[in-house]
Amino acid sequence: MYQFDYQAPDSLEAALAALRENDEAKIVAGGMTLLPTMKLRLARPEALIDINRIGSLAGVTEKNRAIVIGAMTRHADVAASKLVRDRIPGLADLAETIGDPQVRNRGTIGGSVANNDPAADYPAGLVGLGATVVTDRREIAADDFFTDMFETALEADEIITAVHFPIPKRAAYMKFPNPASRYAIVGVMVAETHDGIRVAVTGAAPCVFRVTAMEDALKKDFTPDAIAPIAVDGAEFNEDIHASAEYRAHLVNVMARRAVAAVG
Amino acid sequence: MKVSFSVNGAELSGDVEPRTLLVDFLRNDLGLTGTHVGCDTSQCGACVVHLDGRSIKSCTLLAVQAEGMQVTTIEGLADGDALHPMQAAFREEHGLQCGFCTPGMIMSAIDLLQNNAAPTEKEIRDWLEGNLCRCTGYQNIVKSIQTNAKSQ
Amino acid sequence: MDIQGEYHIAASPTEVWQRLIDPDVLSACIPGCESMTRASEDAYDCAVMAKYGPVKAKFKTTLTLSNINAPVSYTLSGRGQGGAAGFGEGVADVMLEETSDGTALRYTARFNAGGRIAQVGSRLIVATTRKFADKFFAAFSSGFDVAADDATA
Ligand SMILES: Cc1cc2nc3c(=O)[nH]c(=O)nc-3n(C[C@H](O)[C@H](O)[C@H](O)COP(=O)(O)OP(=O)(O)OC[C@H]3O[C@@H](n4cnc5c(N)ncnc54)[C@H](O)[C@@H]3O)c2cc1C
Ligand code: FES
Ligand code: FES
Repeated sequence: MYQFDYQAPDSLEAALAALRENDEAKIVAGGMTLLPTMKLRLARPEALIDINRIGSLAGVTEKNRAIVIGAMTRHADVAASKLVRDRIPGLADLAETIGDPQVRNRGTIGGSVANNDPAADYPAGLVGLGATVVTDRREIAADDFFTDMFETALEADEIITAVHFPIPKRAAYMKFPNPASRYAIVGVMVAETHDGIRVAVTGAAPCVFRVTAMEDALKKDFTPDAIAPIAVDGAEFNEDIHASAEYRAHLVNVMARRAVAAVG
Repeated sequence: MKVSFSVNGAELSGDVEPRTLLVDFLRNDLGLTGTHVGCDTSQCGACVVHLDGRSIKSCTLLAVQAEGMQVTTIEGLADGDALHPMQAAFREEHGLQCGFCTPGMIMSAIDLLQNNAAPTEKEIRDWLEGNLCRCTGYQNIVKSIQTNAKSQ
Repeated sequence: MDIQGEYHIAASPTEVWQRLIDPDVLSACIPGCESMTRASEDAYDCAVMAKYGPVKAKFKTTLTLSNINAPVSYTLSGRGQGGAAGFGEGVADVMLEETSDGTALRYTARFNAGGRIAQVGSRLIVATTRKFADKFFAAFSSGFDVAADDATA
């Protein structure tokens, strides 16, 4: 790795000040994406601002019929949270499928959301559940947050502090994992929220997206059969040695039906 | 940069560059070479140690990030000549061949039993997702963990 | 895993061709290109700053023009060495065809990577190549002040 400065402030204000001071500084949360990238010398931040010591950023609470998950909450802690398991079991399941136990013991929801990897699980969770991303300065609806591959609505010096998940009536997440990394080849979150039905897909395309045709069909008839004939257009889908674009398009329907069946 | 944390129960402090990985600090500065580096891309689990009791990949953590915390490596498990029960179970059940993956496997397996004292075979296999073994085919590794869980 | 796209440009194939072989135009259209110097008759050394998500790194790239068949087609390839990360190579076959109102530019692009970058990043290669190619050809075509057709895969 290249040389860099390091600091681990214990308050959000200090972290923001440090971030503003240096254009080439980066936040490190779980480090599960950033450190491997730096080891490959594909990133060269001049300074790392470690937000692991800001205690107020971690933890799960319930507020106004929503589950609020602090940005520094590890995937393992979301999966093990009684509150999440009880109120949004589909979200606890999602966290449990991320990577492996050691990645889940370090990786955070804030880091995953900020990174917006096209194959990450949380983007489907946030969009599927109609969540809101809370930052140091504003609230951003998940629908507006994930803008393109690896791109989000975040400003360069903005820090995610929490994610707000309205408690749905019912929801489930189904994913077809890459056999090696566990990243989603295709992952689908289906939820019946108090504002309607949502179907969100990750892994298939460069960025998470909703399938409104499926949402409309499920509104009339909430069964796997109702969406069986609905095909998605895979022309711009991702392709790699594990799955062609065509196969990913096929998987979207299969995973969506499984999620509907799991929602019950 | 100054750091102080505990390794296998001993408090220590030292000077490290921020870019030093925990695994390099353990191996090069402390001579604790039981923790291995297999892939260096956060995928193989040969480098797994415990940080405040939880298993993590020490190739993907900076040594400075361990400030004030407790690190346990494979060297910290045995009590004198008496092996830790998980180590003993791996020996008993032939849970290793070349032994390269073994320190990571054992540190990971101990974390599993802390979370789930009586895991099913499937739960064990799922948990070992982040630990790769090129020799054993995993069969005896799973058996070792089952043996240790039963004897607890 | 080829990526294809098509743009319609309101200029003659000869005019489009002149710009396709103009290093100043090429360097202005390559996303993140910071400098470009002529290395030989048909090759240029470029420094490209790649920025995708957590990645932010400068690559030294050699851009080569080959299979030149003026003013109809050529192959544009860029090979970059990423040191510890491995290497990557992108190739685009470009074809021009005269139409009733100008020129149709069609391209077929692909990218190969080797070394650790391929080990950890193979799942991102197609999407990244598509984005890169779209940006390049969109910038190139808009230089003629004409809206591009949608690029299709
Ligand atoms: C072997 C392996 C397997 C994996 N498998 C999966 C998988 O199956 N599914 C999946 O979804 N993910 C997977 N991941 C990725 C993992 O979930 C990461 O934890 C996650 O993508 C990044 O989170 P982090 O906390 O580690 O962030 P970091 O690596 O610390 O940071 C990532 C980026 O986000 C920025 N950032 C971090 N926190 C904030 C914040 N609060 N506000 C603003 N910006 C911030 C950082 O500056 C950096 O640019 C895997 C990773 C590995 C190594
Ligand atoms: S060396 Fe750390 S995961 Fe392979
Ligand atoms: S025993 Fe050789 S790698 Fe596992």
